[in-house]
Amino acid sequence: MERVGPTDGYGGGMSMPRRVSRFVFAALLSLTLSLAVFTAAQEEDRASLSPAESRKAATLIMARCAVCHTTDLISQQRLPEDRWIVTVEKMVHWGAELSKEEAAVVLRYLVARNHPGAAAELPTIEQELAMSQPASDPGAAGDGPLTGLSARGAGLYARNCQACHGEGATGGVGPKLARNMILKNEGAFWETVLHGRGPMPAWGAALSHQDIADIHAWLAAR
Amino acid sequence: MAVTRRALFARVLQGIGMAVAAGRLDRASAANQVEATGQAIGPLTVRVSRPFDAETPVREFTSALTPNERFFVRSHFGPPSAEAVQPETWRLTVKGLVKGELTLSLPELKKFEPLTLTAVLQCSGNGRAHHRPQVPGVQWERGAVGNAQWTGLRLRDLLQQAGIKPQAVHVQFQGADRPALPTVPLFTRSIPIHKALHPDTLLAYEMNGRPLPLLHGAPLRVITPGWMAESCMKWLTEITVRADETPGYYMQQAYRIPETSIQPGSGLPGSVMVPVEQMPVKSLIAAPAEGDVLKPGPVTVQGVAWAGESPVARVEVSCDDGKTWEPARLLGEEQPYAWRQWQYLWSARHVGPTAILCRATDAQGVQQPEKSPWNPGGFLWSGWDRLTVTVAA
Repeated sequence: MERVGPTDGYGGGMSMPRRVSRFVFAALLSLTLSLAVFTAAQEEDRASLSPAESRKAATLIMARCAVCHTTDLISQQRLPEDRWIVTVEKMVHWGAELSKEEAAVVLRYLVARNHPGAAAELPTIEQELAMSQPASDPGAAGDGPLTGLSARGAGLYARNCQACHGEGATGGVGPKLARNMILKNEGAFWETVLHGRGPMPAWGAALSHQDIADIHAWLAAR
Repeated sequence: MAVTRRALFARVLQGIGMAVAAGRLDRASAANQVEATGQAIGPLTVRVSRPFDAETPVREFTSALTPNERFFVRSHFGPPSAEAVQPETWRLTVKGLVKGELTLSLPELKKFEPLTLTAVLQCSGNGRAHHRPQVPGVQWERGAVGNAQWTGLRLRDLLQQAGIKPQAVHVQFQGADRPALPTVPLFTRSIPIHKALHPDTLLAYEMNGRPLPLLHGAPLRVITPGWMAESCMKWLTEITVRADETPGYYMQQAYRIPETSIQPGSGLPGSVMVPVEQMPVKSLIAAPAEGDVLKPGPVTVQGVAWAGESPVARVEVSCDDGKTWEPARLLGEEQPYAWRQWQYLWSARHVGPTAILCRATDAQGVQQPEKSPWNPGGFLWSGWDRLTVTVAA
């Protein structure tokens, strides 16, 4: 359970907390995993994230920030924490769909990754995500095919998809989805929603598999 | 080979336009074909793939005019939907503090007396990447600027036809571009009435003698010669004469600089923030290029210089990292608002790396500083231009 920043080379100017954290770590080695996580989380510097948190932040960025702009705009920034706080607050104010907890993990990821001392060239956020292995795939739990609920899909569509695909799925910045051929090719539909395609961000982090099935059911009924 | 790549890029850009025209989602996938951010593929260096923001590599500035397909591209939301700017249905409305509202088609606007002028267009954030401490925003380096010939009608003529009421103080511009989310503020700007009524302020429908390209604001955009590009609204659909400056984020918070200089790195300052308007005096080296290896002997150092509404008085070059400065030769004739090309013949003698710098001075005696004053938006960078070359025997 080593806690690392999403990129190397960060962590200067925090030798004291580090030493304390290592000592605590050693003391906790024999304890249960959950307790270790809890204690380390309390000890840790704001700017270091677990690999799972980094993955969560990166997927959130791809799903919620890339609605309006590609992640290259984020990746080229080198900002101190106070400017990141203002920036993330501004984006949430402008409609970025991030809960308080989600905004907090995105903020910590950005502070740790895109700080003024970071390397001039960083891998893209998409590359970073591809390089890290997800701990588990919640959708892989073998529980048979999902049945979509069209009524539930309507609200999910309005909240997540409508901004680009238009009211009634009639199209907007994104293509018209009502009676779109992709609805008949469920494999392609799921691939696109889970992993994104072209300018469409990946929604795998934002929508549960039931959500996606519900949205599909609602769209198929258009 | 170069021609093929240029042609390919032209097709990619066309592709962006066509995808938008079809209202399809392929817009940014076309931009994706231009590949990774910060890479110069074909003529442009892409900073953001969507909305498409790209700058011109400075080697292009050896030409007096910057070609349309090599001209930097910047917008907040990308081009509007094809329906919004379709020539048959597109209209320009003039409203607000006017005696009679106007709604005009493009052929009707072309009946006004046309005017052609050459003017520099520059993004206020050009050079943002050079500010320290670093500031948020697109990290433009040197090429979010270009010099083009603009043809259109005078905004003044249009406002006179509508009849301005005496309370008029600002003229507001709205384009047809829209954010992906309705919660994001529209890009709306206004300029003071004196600039709107200036006989050189244009509503342009041609760029370098060709119809205005979609990425540059087709069918009509504002040109405020000598002023920064955020006043030069693209995809213009509405002009509103107002008794005050436009409210809203893009006028009241963005594109503002401290009236007096502030402590670098401080947050939003207590000092008064004023809108970015005129371009400060600035010069760039177009050749040689950063990292070039040169033979000893004569080397032509060349570039461009501009100073907003003021003429460029002189350009100086240093080939010893700023220790000594020599005057460059200004080429051609002074043209208001256009950039001026310059040349300096350097006799490269000492083998090894050396920095080449340039700085310009305007007709009021204002000289480019070594570094621009820091400001929280990273606007108006106009520090000395600088590159390193190596002289090898």
